Amino acid sequence: MINREQKKGRTLNSKLLELLEEGKKSEFEVDFVTTSTINKIDLRFLILYIPIIWISFFIVVAFWYNYLIFIQRIVIKILLIPVAILINFFIIAFGVALFGKLFLIILNLMHEPKQGVFKIEKGNKDYEFWRFRIQLKKLVLWVMNNNPLPWIDTWGFKWFGVQVDLSSHMFDSWVDTEFIEIGRKVTVGQGAVVMSSMVLGKYLIIKKIRFDDYTVIGGVSNIAPGTEVGKETIIGAFSTTYYNQKLDHGWVYFGNPVSKLKQNKYAEERNGFIHKKDVDENRKYKEIKEINIDEEGLDNEENNKVR
Amino acid sequence: MIKISTPAALKAGPFTTNLLARKKYIIFYIFLFWISLFIVQFEFWVFYSFLFNRLLFFILSLPILIVVMYISIILISLFFARILLIFVNLIHKPREGVFLRDKDDKDFRFWSLRSTIKKWPVWLAHKFPFPFMDNICLKMFGVKTKFSNSLFEGWVDTEFIEFGQNVTAGQGSIIQSALIAGNLFIIRKTIIEDNVIIGAHSIVMPGSKIGQNCILTSSSTTIVNQELEDGWIYSGVPAKKFKKNRFFEDHLEPFLNNPEEFEFFMNE
Repeated sequence: MINREQKKGRTLNSKLLELLEEGKKSEFEVDFVTTSTINKIDLRFLILYIPIIWISFFIVVAFWYNYLIFIQRIVIKILLIPVAILINFFIIAFGVALFGKLFLIILNLMHEPKQGVFKIEKGNKDYEFWRFRIQLKKLVLWVMNNNPLPWIDTWGFKWFGVQVDLSSHMFDSWVDTEFIEIGRKVTVGQGAVVMSSMVLGKYLIIKKIRFDDYTVIGGVSNIAPGTEVGKETIIGAFSTTYYNQKLDHGWVYFGNPVSKLKQNKYAEERNGFIHKKDVDENRKYKEIKEINIDEEGLDNEENNKVR
Repeated sequence: MIKISTPAALKAGPFTTNLLARKKYIIFYIFLFWISLFIVQFEFWVFYSFLFNRLLFFILSLPILIVVMYISIILISLFFARILLIFVNLIHKPREGVFLRDKDDKDFRFWSLRSTIKKWPVWLAHKFPFPFMDNICLKMFGVKTKFSNSLFEGWVDTEFIEFGQNVTAGQGSIIQSALIAGNLFIIRKTIIEDNVIIGAHSIVMPGSKIGQNCILTSSSTTIVNQELEDGWIYSGVPAKKFKKNRFFEDHLEPFLNNPEEFEFFMNE
C-alpha cells in the first residue's frame, strides 16, 4: 500500500494521471506479448564484432603453429588432423566467450544493466546499452549454437552470469541472456521464446524471469517478462504467459493467456522417489547438528571440571 | 539469441518455401556456389602472394581476411544472383495473382526458379551473426526496406513485400507474399508500414496490409488480403482488433513498471 509521503511523490506524474483518466485504465494494461528482438539495427555493432573475432583468432593461430612444429612425424600429423579441427572449434568458442565477457564487463562498467521500463529513443542510455549487450552476446551464442555439443550452449549462459544448472536444457529455443534465473533440470521446448525484455510501442520493458526446478516449457510457447514459474509446473505447447504472471507449483498450465488445466500428477509420482543429492545433503546437515550439540556439551563439562 | 540465440532446430534463414518445379534448376544454385567460392579463392591467393614473406603481417591480418572473405562471398553471390534474376525476369515478368500449382504453369515454374537462385546468398547472409547482411540481401532482391528494420529473427519472403521504417519482426515470425493452398498458388503483395511490431511466432499472410504503429501480438495470424488499421493492437487467429495502441504516448513508465500501485491511486 502507498503511504502519504509516497503519494506526494506521485502527484508529479499529473500528465500520466490525465492520460489514465482520459482513456480507460484497461487500455494501458499490458495483457499481450510482443517480441524482444533488437529494435533498430546499427552499423556500430560491427565495432564490437571485429576486435573480438580478431583477438580470438590469434589463439587459433597459436594452436596451429604449435601443432605443425611440435608434431614432427607426418603420419601422426595427418592422423591427428580431425582431432585438431575439432579442438579448433572449441578454441574459437572459448576465445570468443573470453573476450566477449571482457567487453561485456567494460560495457557494464560504463552503464549497469537494470530492470524497469525505459523509453526507446536515441538519448536513453538504458536502451542503447541493452542493444549493445544483446548484440555482443549474440556473437558468442551464435558460435556456441553452431557447435555439435548442446551442453556448451548452457555453459555459455552460465558464463554470462545467468543462474543456470548444467542439467537444464535450452538448446533449441530463443532465450534471453540476462535477468533470468533457471533451476535444476528445466527443459525449454523447441522454438519457445523466453524473453526478459519486451519491445512495446515507445517502451522497452525489462523484468526478471524465474523458472524453478523441474519445470517444462512446451514448444513454440512465449514467456513474457516478469513470469515466475513454480516448481514442477508444465506449460503446454503453443501457450503464452503474460507480463508479471505468477504460476503456482505442481500444475499443468495451457492457453493464451495460460490458465490452470489440471494438477501435475506426474510430479506427485516423482515426489515418492527422492533425489539422491537431497538425501545426502539432509544427512550431512543432521550429523553436523548432532556433533555440534555434543561438542558444546563436552566443552561445558570440561569447563566445569576445570573450574 | 536469441534475440539472442538462434535455436539449432530453426536455423533456416528467411527465404521462401522452396519447391523445385524442375530438378534442372539446381544448376543455377551450383553455379552461384561455384563462382562465389572461386572468386574468393582468388582473393586469398592475392593476399597470400603479397604478404607471405612478412609472416607477422600475414598472421596479424589473417582473422580480418577471413571475415572479409565471408562478406565477399555473400556480396559476390548476391551480385551474380541479381544478374541471373534480371535475365529470368526478362523472359517472364513476375506478377501477382492466383495460379495453378503445376509444372505446366509458367508463373509457378518461374517463381520456383527465382527462389532457387535466391537461396544460396540469403542462406549465407542469414548465417552471419551480424544482422545487417539480411537487409542488404533483401534490398538487392527488390524488397523495399530500410536499414533500421530488424528482420533477421524471422522468415521473410524476398519479393512483393514493402516495409516502412523501424519494423521489428519477432522470433520465428513469418512474413509471406506467396502461399501454396492445395492445388492453387497465390502471390499477393504484402505491405507493412512504419513502426510496426510483429510478435513472436505470428504469421503475416500474402496480401495483408498492416498500417502505421500497429502491433500484431505473438502467436496470431492475419488472413489473405486482410487490412489492419493504423494504430491498433491486433491479436488472435485470424487477427482481430484487440485495443487501441496507446503505447506511443509519453509519461507511461511508472504505470507500466508497477500497475498495482496505481490501482490504489485511481480509486482515490
